[in-house]
Amino acid sequence: MRVTKGARLAAGTALLALAPAACGGSTSSGSGTASADLPVRMELGEPQKLFYPGDTVESEGAEVMAAVFAPLVGYDENKQVVDEVAESIESKDNRVWTIKLKPGYTWHNGEKLIAQNYVDAWNYAADQDNAQGANGFFSRIDGWADLNPGEGRTVSTKEMKGLKVVDESTFTVTLAKPFSQFKTMLGYTAFYPLPTVAFGGDGKITEAYAKKPIGQGYFQFDKPFNKGTDQSIDLTRYDKFPGTKPKFTKLRFKLYTSSETAFNDLAAGNLDIHDSLPPSAIARAKSEFGERYLDEADAGVAYIGFPMQYNKTYANVKVREAISMAIDRETIADKVFSGTRAPADDFINPLLDGYRPGACAVCVYDPAKAQEQYTAGNGPKTLELGYNSDGPHKEWIEAVANSLRANLDVEVTVKPFEKFAAILDELDQKTYGGMFRMGWAIDYPSAENYLTPLFSTVEIKTGSNYAGWSNKEFDELLAKGDSAATREEGLKFYQQADDILIREMPYIPVYFYRTNAAFSQNVKGVKIDLLNQIKWTEVEKAG
Amino acid sequence: MNRYILRRLIQAIPVLLGATLLIYAIVFALPGDPIAASAGEKRMDPNIVDVLREQYHLNDPFLVQYWYYIVGLLGGDFGTTFAGVGVGDIMAGKFQVTINLAVTALVMEAVIGVGLGLYAALRHGRAGDSLILAATLVLISVPVLVTGFVLQLLLGVKLKQAGIDLFPVAGVSEGWRGYLLPGFVLAGTSIAYLTRLTRNSLVEILRADYIRTAVAKGLPRSRVVGRHALRNALIPLITYLGADLGALMGGAVITETIFNLPGIGQQLFSSVYLREQPVVVGIVTVLVLIYILANLVVDLLYAVLDPRIRYE
Repeated sequence: MRVTKGARLAAGTALLALAPAACGGSTSSGSGTASADLPVRMELGEPQKLFYPGDTVESEGAEVMAAVFAPLVGYDENKQVVDEVAESIESKDNRVWTIKLKPGYTWHNGEKLIAQNYVDAWNYAADQDNAQGANGFFSRIDGWADLNPGEGRTVSTKEMKGLKVVDESTFTVTLAKPFSQFKTMLGYTAFYPLPTVAFGGDGKITEAYAKKPIGQGYFQFDKPFNKGTDQSIDLTRYDKFPGTKPKFTKLRFKLYTSSETAFNDLAAGNLDIHDSLPPSAIARAKSEFGERYLDEADAGVAYIGFPMQYNKTYANVKVREAISMAIDRETIADKVFSGTRAPADDFINPLLDGYRPGACAVCVYDPAKAQEQYTAGNGPKTLELGYNSDGPHKEWIEAVANSLRANLDVEVTVKPFEKFAAILDELDQKTYGGMFRMGWAIDYPSAENYLTPLFSTVEIKTGSNYAGWSNKEFDELLAKGDSAATREEGLKFYQQADDILIREMPYIPVYFYRTNAAFSQNVKGVKIDLLNQIKWTEVEKAG
Repeated sequence: MNRYILRRLIQAIPVLLGATLLIYAIVFALPGDPIAASAGEKRMDPNIVDVLREQYHLNDPFLVQYWYYIVGLLGGDFGTTFAGVGVGDIMAGKFQVTINLAVTALVMEAVIGVGLGLYAALRHGRAGDSLILAATLVLISVPVLVTGFVLQLLLGVKLKQAGIDLFPVAGVSEGWRGYLLPGFVLAGTSIAYLTRLTRNSLVEILRADYIRTAVAKGLPRSRVVGRHALRNALIPLITYLGADLGALMGGAVITETIFNLPGIGQQLFSSVYLREQPVVVGIVTVLVLIYILANLVVDLLYAVLDPRIRYE
């Protein structure tokens, strides 16, 4: 659900567009006095909210939460789900799941981690009265509907009937319908537990807790975080953490509003890790940081969407294919984004199992065929492309427009919206008939996460199916994948569903995101995981 | 005198009320749903949006919402952001940073601007004067954005890489040193204007009859310039500085973003963007208050500088 680095964009974009070209320069000399107590300093945009597991749905807050909380499952090098806090997560029918916790985990206040902590946290997040942003993640659990009767109606219960504590370290989750990917979901921020001290007398999470969350992960907060005033979040390693611990003791998140500024701070040696380098800094980062510059795949995908639900202009699939073939993805990835994006050739991102290189044949640039097919399909004479001008989208949308103008011989107007929500509003009200930009970053690493939220029929009303595209066969394949006996078998069905998308093209995949990071000489072993977070257990201070 | 000050302060009340109403109305009229805006790029569950709209009285008409706000304000409550954080707390911290920045800038303006202007006026028509005129012209014409990034790169990054740790690149964790560079960038154009203003009015005054009289009486040059010329030239300068204080506080968006200072400029920008009425109105109210006070101080300073000016 998270697509960009949230609120920081608001302040940063104006500058981004105008930032002067970075000058190349000498290699940083750095003052390498690495004392044991100096923290590892990491770049962060200001989290949008205080720290509530069920309400932290943007990447900045999630990065902090991931350092303070340990998830039930993690993801290994081979993109497989591995148990972390969970001893085992098992299900015979993909509907009733039994989750056992490993012994030895304690909260930062010394209390023991118990199964009830999970049940409490999940019930809290799923209750509409608490208005938690990640509420929807619990909708697959049996009893969620009782906690979400809708606007103006009172919630009659505080508990989902699908959650049951068996003993101190075991609980069961019953889903409304089978879902083979459920285990994969459990690494997401929303599924962290909450200690009993988090709740006040009124049953709500207290502000004091949200300012200084007590977690069960490898770092604990030094002091409460005053949002709006504090410029750093300081953490210290929790030495009673039973899993693999980080090799350094102090971690400091430094908050920046401008990505360029953070990069300058990194170059000056005042920062150690910056994991969201702006395109304007890439050339300089490569030359100045050499091996300490990282360029890795990111699970995000960018699309051009069609308002299929109410605008029949694009009804002909041949026309949609022609538009796709007319887009010069290579040039956009290399020139517009300085190589920080990759041309898309599937609806599933290469970072995940299920991706098939070149699966989308009509994603290959073929101007001649595009023109021919467009004319034959009697495509519209004018096209409109909408985008939100609060993110870095103007350049690539203009590039797409140019491709279409040149190759399809049509008039193309580009329409900026002040923010993304404005496009969504107009799509909801069916007042905008043009094509629109769209982006997707995964919430949990499963191929399924590229399909259900964006293209399934049920998601038209409440989810992220902004195209309003609906296909019965597609929905059925998803259901088969969801109830498949194994992950592998499920993947087969998801790929078949992916094939339908490629055949129907309700969206046009344009590029895959990449993560560009750089780090200082003070640290080594910086690695980024599938959820775009730093693997703190791998990072070391350099001698 | 005291009655004059009191009268001026009482006059401020309707100005403040009018300003809050106006700003509240303007933010209210911005397109888009503030709850959706607070969620950034992702779409929120419509059910949750409803609950939140109810919580923040967003379904009520404009005047009712404004009423809730004013009632809260009279009780000393600035309201909360849509993320549930107290606006009063946010403002306290942010204003501290911006006031530090603005004061740094103001001091730089006064010292550098008046100093250079004085120097240029005394060297009127000679090389030093021309050089300063040219330099200020450059300073006026280069946008803050450029001076900001260039100085940050040269004095912040390159100097530090060369082993000289003088100006922090960003942030306020290094104390007052963190304000030097951004203060200068923020003051940049004003320094140039102030230099030219000082120079021009001094050149004018130095030609006046009473200065010739003073020189003819045999007064030392320092006394002629300091007591007789500069003091008279200060009146327009004080006016400029007074008005500039407000402008510095409001105009710090770019400087604060480049140098990553968590000040009011940044906050105002993102709050307008997120349509957070309480924050925008709260900040603007305080800014209006600062403007009013600065103007009052300027008016009172006139009387100090020129005894002929009196207030009843």
